[in-house]
Amino acid sequence: MMSAGVGVDLEDLWIRFGDFVAVRDANVDIRGGDFFSFLGPSGCGKTTILRAVSGFLEPSDGRVLIGGRDMKGIGPNKRPTALIFQNLALFPLMKVWENIAFALEIRGASAGERRKRADELLEMVALTGQGDKLPAELSGGQKQRVAIARALCAEPDVLLLDEPLSALDLKLRQHMRTELREIQQRVGITFIYITHDQGEALTMSDRIAVMRAGVIDQIGNGREIYNEPATAFAASFVGENNVFRGTVKEVRGAEAVIDTNRSGTLLATVSPANRDKMKPGDKAMLFIRPEAFSIAETGTSGDHFVTARVTNEEFEGNVFNIFMEGEGGKELKVSLPNLGQSFESHLGAPMTLAYDVQNAVIVPHGDLATE
Amino acid sequence: MNQSALRIGIWVYLAIFFAYLLGPLAIMSVTAFNSSEFPRTTPWECLTFDWFVELFRDERILNGIKNSFIIGAGTVVLSVAMGLAAALMLTQIWPRLRATYYTVVIAPILIPGVVLGISTLVFWDRINRFLGLGPDSFLSNGIFLTVIGQSTFIASYCMLVLVARLQRYDMGQTEAALDLGATHAQAFRKVLLPFMRPAIASAAVLAFLASFENYNTTTFTFGQYPTLTIELAQKVRYGINPSISALALIIVLLTVFFALLHDATQRRRAMAAAARLGAPVTVREVAGGIRLPRVLSGNPAAVGLVIFLIGVITVVGTATAYSPAACIARVDAEKREAAERRIEDLRRQREEERERNFDGVFAPEKLTPDSGEDAGATDDNGSGFGNVFDPGNLQGEEEGATAPEDDADTSGFGNVFDPNTLTGD
Amino acid sequence: MPRFLKEFFNRNGTGMGLVMLGLVLFWTVGLIILPQLSMLDFSFRPNLPPPEYGGPKDVYTLENYRYLVFGPEGGSQDFNRVDLRVFYRTIIAALFVTLFNLVLCYPIAYYLGQSKTSKIRIFALMLIIPYWINEILRAFALRIIFGESGVINSALVGLGIFDVPFDFIRNDIALYAGLGYAYILLMIFPIYNVIESLDRNQIEAARDMGASWITIHRRVVIPYAKPGISSGCTMVFMLTAGALAAPQILGGPSSLWFTQLIYQQFNDNNDWPQGAAYAIVLLVTCILLVLAIMRLFKVNMGDMGK
Repeated sequence: MMSAGVGVDLEDLWIRFGDFVAVRDANVDIRGGDFFSFLGPSGCGKTTILRAVSGFLEPSDGRVLIGGRDMKGIGPNKRPTALIFQNLALFPLMKVWENIAFALEIRGASAGERRKRADELLEMVALTGQGDKLPAELSGGQKQRVAIARALCAEPDVLLLDEPLSALDLKLRQHMRTELREIQQRVGITFIYITHDQGEALTMSDRIAVMRAGVIDQIGNGREIYNEPATAFAASFVGENNVFRGTVKEVRGAEAVIDTNRSGTLLATVSPANRDKMKPGDKAMLFIRPEAFSIAETGTSGDHFVTARVTNEEFEGNVFNIFMEGEGGKELKVSLPNLGQSFESHLGAPMTLAYDVQNAVIVPHGDLATE
Repeated sequence: MNQSALRIGIWVYLAIFFAYLLGPLAIMSVTAFNSSEFPRTTPWECLTFDWFVELFRDERILNGIKNSFIIGAGTVVLSVAMGLAAALMLTQIWPRLRATYYTVVIAPILIPGVVLGISTLVFWDRINRFLGLGPDSFLSNGIFLTVIGQSTFIASYCMLVLVARLQRYDMGQTEAALDLGATHAQAFRKVLLPFMRPAIASAAVLAFLASFENYNTTTFTFGQYPTLTIELAQKVRYGINPSISALALIIVLLTVFFALLHDATQRRRAMAAAARLGAPVTVREVAGGIRLPRVLSGNPAAVGLVIFLIGVITVVGTATAYSPAACIARVDAEKREAAERRIEDLRRQREEERERNFDGVFAPEKLTPDSGEDAGATDDNGSGFGNVFDPGNLQGEEEGATAPEDDADTSGFGNVFDPNTLTGD
Repeated sequence: MPRFLKEFFNRNGTGMGLVMLGLVLFWTVGLIILPQLSMLDFSFRPNLPPPEYGGPKDVYTLENYRYLVFGPEGGSQDFNRVDLRVFYRTIIAALFVTLFNLVLCYPIAYYLGQSKTSKIRIFALMLIIPYWINEILRAFALRIIFGESGVINSALVGLGIFDVPFDFIRNDIALYAGLGYAYILLMIFPIYNVIESLDRNQIEAARDMGASWITIHRRVVIPYAKPGISSGCTMVFMLTAGALAAPQILGGPSSLWFTQLIYQQFNDNNDWPQGAAYAIVLLVTCILLVLAIMRLFKVNMGDMGK
């Protein structure tokens, strides 16, 4: 029976390579049994963290604790973790069942036991009967599942996955997303998953850590990250967002008024991570999602209205995308759901948009994600 | 330039080139069957297999073969081990040092074998003295020194072969093994080693062959344990007879056979791998375009084996049915007649001379008989022509070959030669 | 423990790491570096019988090197003409053999490298098989052929070109033929390898533009094949200069090879330090010449991996 509910803690974790800081002061508390994702662009340090947790890297400062135990000095072969590599690293000269049962072979189990266990796992990942093939004979998705089965055979407390779906095509990727989530819930062990694809992170994870250049910007569940980003990076990396740059004019509790550079004075909510930290005069950024806008009567003005001229219109099936240009060249994107309503084109004409203050977020000024 | 003229030119050039390369071997093989005491193809005396028999009775040769195998085995183990360790190290060494490291491990290939032999000898002799051990110690043992000396450069070759394979290895596999709980030794044994196995086999074969045929280094280090190559060299320098040709022919045949076998095995493996993946492979591709009957296509080793078996059967058959003794006896009779005739001529000459000068001024030694041709080297010592009238001289053993060491000498003239007539260097 | 060492043992495990490190150090230091240094040191010592080692007579001296140049003390000549001439001849001969080999093998290597026929396999096999055969036997085969009653002389005498068999051995022709023969493979393969990777289109393009084949080779093929050529030349030169078997078997009395001198010092004269000194001279000369070749062709060590 595999143990469920083993948590992983990163305490004040620093990882340096010479002068280069790969991970800066990371503090993460991963609860046992969670599907936890590290989300960020390439080079942000998420792979480095994974290797530190699995034992291939010793941190320069700070601690890695698994199940409350400090893992310092414990090598990868002694940690209760199993890693699924980005290129899978299946053993090409061994058959599929031998690959899967490798962990048992190490412990000296008999061939009969190993074959039995391998067959059980093959069934779990829906590859029954493929045990005698060589890895080279399998498709991408099948290899993926063999890798998972092999890792599960080692009965780890924590399963680490390094961008496992990045090499697969779109349809397969979406299929595997659901499968992975199902396996995790069935088996019940902690999954630590790293990816640069925010769709994957949002659909699969219980909680997400958004990372950028070695720093963890925010930790939270999908909705928190999406609706209440803590930094400009988090706001722009996850999903699409319109950004208004400006200065804080007034703080009213959880809300604040911003003097934007080009779109007038607007009212919005300060994201929870930044409440009590923002003061008038701070440089800030206001984010409003394209789907958070609705069309108001042209010409309305106020602290939650924006007027601009329509430059382009697109029909994307489930939404209508309207591209607009405001004063001073400010670009906007608005997405209206397609509910079967008739759509009037306003191409070239000015349009006024309204938004709900709850759906507009203010964060301190920061770097945006460059995708 | 005219295209077809160019083409013909190329073919002529290639023909001459390959004649240069393979001709000597072919001729040498033929001399193994000539009953003449010195290996030659003309004049052809008698077809005989006696030289092969003598070969197998030669103690020194057999001893040499034994030593070659022992030393070969030792060298294989040491060279492959060092080569593998060095190859693994090469992939891990910090880049600043890599160029220097590479130069150091490749250097032994460029150092003349003589220098390697001498330095090995000098160095271990010094250690021997330093440790106070006598001349009988393990460190002065010929086998130890030869293995050490040869491995110094053979390990470089092994390393090159292994690195080529290692570069295609995905380090992630070792990490995966570790991650699943294997110790470093287990990961090495179960994951890396199986991957490297073909390269290790190649390196081992390479090491063995290189060790077997090594001369420059071994000639300084062999001590009391001469290898086959050393014995061969001694024989070639001091006592040539066609048993060497016989040995050479055997080695050539073995070599060709194994070369074809190796080739066929590789191709069969390639075919199997291709078939596994379901890719259609034409026999034509794999057989390299050689057109052979269906049964044998892709397997020249089988062809070679068949030819060889036919050859052996023929040889054995003729050997039992045909005895060269009669032929040899006849040839010797001819030679004796020719010798007697010449003696007669000389006597007559002497008579005539004596008639003209009664003083008997001359001494018999002044007569220079035509006792056959000689190699330039033997000009240095006239002792080979000391026995002027001994019929044994006239058998024409020029170039100073000693008479065969055992009863295969059917001439009955015995060993007439002073060892000093040996072809010199 | 220094950090890189710690990382090394982390990566490889303590046991495996020690084994690896041990083997590599044994080889590089114990087998490659130290023996050469030891030989160098030895060459500066006088030739003493074993009991006197480490004793008062065991001092550093240049005597062995001086001997090479000036001959025995109180000898009849100002310079050690014999040995020096042997040295000089060896090096020059080796250079010529290398050049001869290059000229001989380049066309073959080019043809094989550019050829599209699958007959390559047979050619390759035919090329390699002579080399799997012991070098002693190859020299022996040539010895038979070039000898008094060998094929060549029989043919020459039989055809009436010569009245008396020609002494190939004394005239060193046999030796040079043997040396040229010995290392053909080592010249062909590196060049073949490089030429095979040359894009045929380049040659086609050059021919399209009307270049003669001399120009094509001079401007297109040879610059590209430089690493292979220098590789081949280096190996052939080193092996020829350091050859021992061929001179011993095929050489006449006047064509002593420098390696034979070294052999004599060790085996006949029992003067190990002298032999060591000669060996050092040979080694250093070869290295210098090889470096010169590499500089000439503008290649470096890294390109020479086969």
